[in-house]
Amino acid sequence: MAELLVQQLVNWITLGCIYALLAIGFSLIFGVLNVIHFSHGDVAMTAPFITLALAQALATALGASGPAWLVLAVPVAVLAVGLIGVLLDKVVIRRFRDAPAMMALVATVALGIVIRELIRHLYPQGSNPHAFPRLVSGMAFEISGVAISWFALLVVVLTVALVAMLFVFLRMTPLGLRIRAASEDRVVARMMGIRDARVFRATFFIASAIGAIAGLLFASYAGVTRFDFGVMAGLLGFSAAVIGGLGSMPGAILGGLIIAGIEVLAQTFVPDGASYRLVFVFLLVIAVLIFRPAGLLGRTVMEKV
Amino acid sequence: MSALLKVENLTMRFGGLVALNDVSLSIDKGAVLAVIGPNGAGKSTLFNVVTGVYRPTSGRVTFDGAEITDRPSYEVVDRGIARTFQSSRLFSDLSVLDNVIIGMHTRTRTGVLTALFRPGASRREMAACVEKAETLLKLGSGDLFEQRYRPAGTLAQADRRRLEIARALASQPKLLLLDEPSVGMDDMETDALVADITRLRVQNPALSVILIEHDMRVVEAFPQHVTCIDYGSKIAEGDFAAVRAEPRVQEAYLGKAVAHA
Amino acid sequence: MQGRASPDVPGIAAATVFAIASQIIGAAFLYLILRVDGGWQVVGLLALLGLGFYLLERLPWIADYALASFARVPLVAMITAAVIVLAFPFFVGSNTYILHLLIVAELYAVLALALNFQLGSANIPNFATGASYGIGAYVSALLAINFGVSFWLTLPVAALAATLFGFIIGIPSMRTRDTYLALVTIAFGVVVQQLLNNFSWTGGPNGLVGIPAPSLFGHSFADPLVIFGWKLPSQANFYYLSAALVVVAIVTAHRLHGSRIGLAWNALRADEIAAKAQGINVAWFKVLAFAVDAFLAAFAGTIYAFYVSYISPDNFTFLVSVTIMTMVIVGGMDNIFGVIVGAFLLTILPEKLRAFADYRLLFFGVVIIGFLMIRPQGLFPQRMRRYGGEP
Repeated sequence: MAELLVQQLVNWITLGCIYALLAIGFSLIFGVLNVIHFSHGDVAMTAPFITLALAQALATALGASGPAWLVLAVPVAVLAVGLIGVLLDKVVIRRFRDAPAMMALVATVALGIVIRELIRHLYPQGSNPHAFPRLVSGMAFEISGVAISWFALLVVVLTVALVAMLFVFLRMTPLGLRIRAASEDRVVARMMGIRDARVFRATFFIASAIGAIAGLLFASYAGVTRFDFGVMAGLLGFSAAVIGGLGSMPGAILGGLIIAGIEVLAQTFVPDGASYRLVFVFLLVIAVLIFRPAGLLGRTVMEKV
Repeated sequence: MSALLKVENLTMRFGGLVALNDVSLSIDKGAVLAVIGPNGAGKSTLFNVVTGVYRPTSGRVTFDGAEITDRPSYEVVDRGIARTFQSSRLFSDLSVLDNVIIGMHTRTRTGVLTALFRPGASRREMAACVEKAETLLKLGSGDLFEQRYRPAGTLAQADRRRLEIARALASQPKLLLLDEPSVGMDDMETDALVADITRLRVQNPALSVILIEHDMRVVEAFPQHVTCIDYGSKIAEGDFAAVRAEPRVQEAYLGKAVAHA
Repeated sequence: MQGRASPDVPGIAAATVFAIASQIIGAAFLYLILRVDGGWQVVGLLALLGLGFYLLERLPWIADYALASFARVPLVAMITAAVIVLAFPFFVGSNTYILHLLIVAELYAVLALALNFQLGSANIPNFATGASYGIGAYVSALLAINFGVSFWLTLPVAALAATLFGFIIGIPSMRTRDTYLALVTIAFGVVVQQLLNNFSWTGGPNGLVGIPAPSLFGHSFADPLVIFGWKLPSQANFYYLSAALVVVAIVTAHRLHGSRIGLAWNALRADEIAAKAQGINVAWFKVLAFAVDAFLAAFAGTIYAFYVSYISPDNFTFLVSVTIMTMVIVGGMDNIFGVIVGAFLLTILPEKLRAFADYRLLFFGVVIIGFLMIRPQGLFPQRMRRYGGEP
């Protein structure tokens, strides 16, 4: 029993960190643009494909396949996905900044479809699942008879490091402060002479790059990736952000942990829970939105009349 | 005669900010009450609490013999309070005519089943609404009637204010709340507005009006009852001359206005 | 509009000719595009269609004239439409593929009209129309398979069940808006789809098979339809049934749009707080929009289930909801005619562009984004209500 408990605890934290990283992107973008970037999950899930393609290309060009190429491909993929985010903002999302919320929502849902379909058509045999290796393998240490993998450790360390870096960036650097100012009040920020374009670029780059890392970890955790994983990754990440309170960083992390917690609990304790886990997750989402529409840590904004 | 609307000890807090602090006022049937005070004094908040947009932190609102504190907006409107907004919130992609007809929402009854299975009744109701709306549009100053098929969003500023008043009147209110109706009007248009309000009262002597105003010429036209609010508290009430003479009022409001003029 | 001389009201003769001719041309175009088999012919027809829309856009009096003509001789226009709809299968003949496309297009038209109450009239996002559609299909299929209930009886039962579901998803709309509400509807959609996928009594991922064909006055819908010695394939039964449903949907949409309910929805689309100040019970009207949407979608679901006789959770996914949404956006929000055109175009075009069959979803995605960026009002923008007055 104890073993099972520890094992599920590790699963929970690993999955929770991945969702939290996805949720941070949603929250960051919503905070600054006041737009829900519904295709964020799909953007994130391009990272494993870019990594695989790159590693493959390097292997064919230089011979000798192996984990070395993967290690090289990962950071390149993260950067590339960050740039994809910036590009999508520039071409599509930014145009809906001042439009009714509904339009931005539908447009980014459509954008998600486009991204998924592009992966499917551009990647060789894109409709099929593709194996994705664990970024690190092996067992690190044991707790009460349960081996803790290097991978779980990597996820936790990476998440803590990224959150800490983001925290420092948003509080200490001039650009970070401007992003925060913009998310506090867009009109005021513009009046203060903050150049919007740079703030948007930076926001999208950071959110998408963090999303890419989450995407890589997600694929690595599952051991496999598919063109349409972005839908679920996006829905779960978005749900985490909303449960925590859109625009709130601690909320995003809390939301990620809650969603992962429900999933793991359902899988462990409910008979046949694995197939119903999404039902539980989304029932919780509905409940939170009904009883605390602004999320657990979000501020209730009263509309000015 | 008892008061039509009675506001007792109304307090409204938003977090740490006190928008209204223990405000009481009342208005009789057929009277006009002008509420003055500097920007941000809490005048619009008063309207929002009375019409059920905000729930007050404490205090009581009674209208026409019934308590309406915390009641939803649709009930308040149904009981006979109509309002305009400071920032003129028209349904901008709908026609001028439709804006007024929507104002009659509480005076019409068609539900889904009637609309689907007794289309004749629904059509007759709409036809009656159109007729009433056209009468209302012809009534005021300006040429709203001629512009009735224009999208409301394309109207000139003065017409937007007039349309808001027409829309509010469409609900056949006993009490009309006007939030700075003269904003964006030039001198001539403001005079026409005063004439419109005066004529309304002649045609319907039972109608009460609460007026939030910055333009002293409008207030002067209805001088019997004036209340001044500053920082969420009532600082003076009485007729216009008395309120104007009050030193606190001059300090809070008129003094600044005069200095700026 | 204002200040421009009102277009001449067409005379009775001119209006009659116009109302008949324009509908025949429209039907002929639909027939051609259904008939052609890919390649340059499709491109040519599309170019023609593009030209048509271009002309409508550049010469707004065409639309004004058309509406005036139809308003002048409504009976002639309606009889023409009825004759065309009734006669269409005779021209199609034994081509069951074309009939199938038409049935699917008709059902999508109903779904799009259903969603239009929310998306178009009230601007409420709803990504659960696919789920309401699925609930309608499953309820009626289960009743028919397990209890032998007749198709005609399952129709109202399924509609009531879905309406109840609509009320339930509508409840959160009292507390949440925009993005949050969208998430609630997505969540409901996922929950419904997952449950259908997991329950054993819904057949799980395999779905339900062997839904019996309906019959009317002893005529089974699985049999060919014989009218005046003309034999039409069995699909024609469902073609007429779906056409009847489209008529019901149009009448519903038209009556609600023209009543105080349609105005209240439009009011809360434009400005929710101002709508409240007019005494509109905003929460109730939002829930109502959800309920009406689910009600109509369930009808479509029932007919679909009995038509294909086999349903599975895959027929009612999130992507179905997005497809319906695309039709509303492309056709024109809050424009009944536009929404129907949107449904037909987006059902038939991807099928005809055979070379692109695999790129259907990509095409949808790009079309949605393109429309939202370049022409958010859709092909046929909403029109001001006229109340019989001069324009």
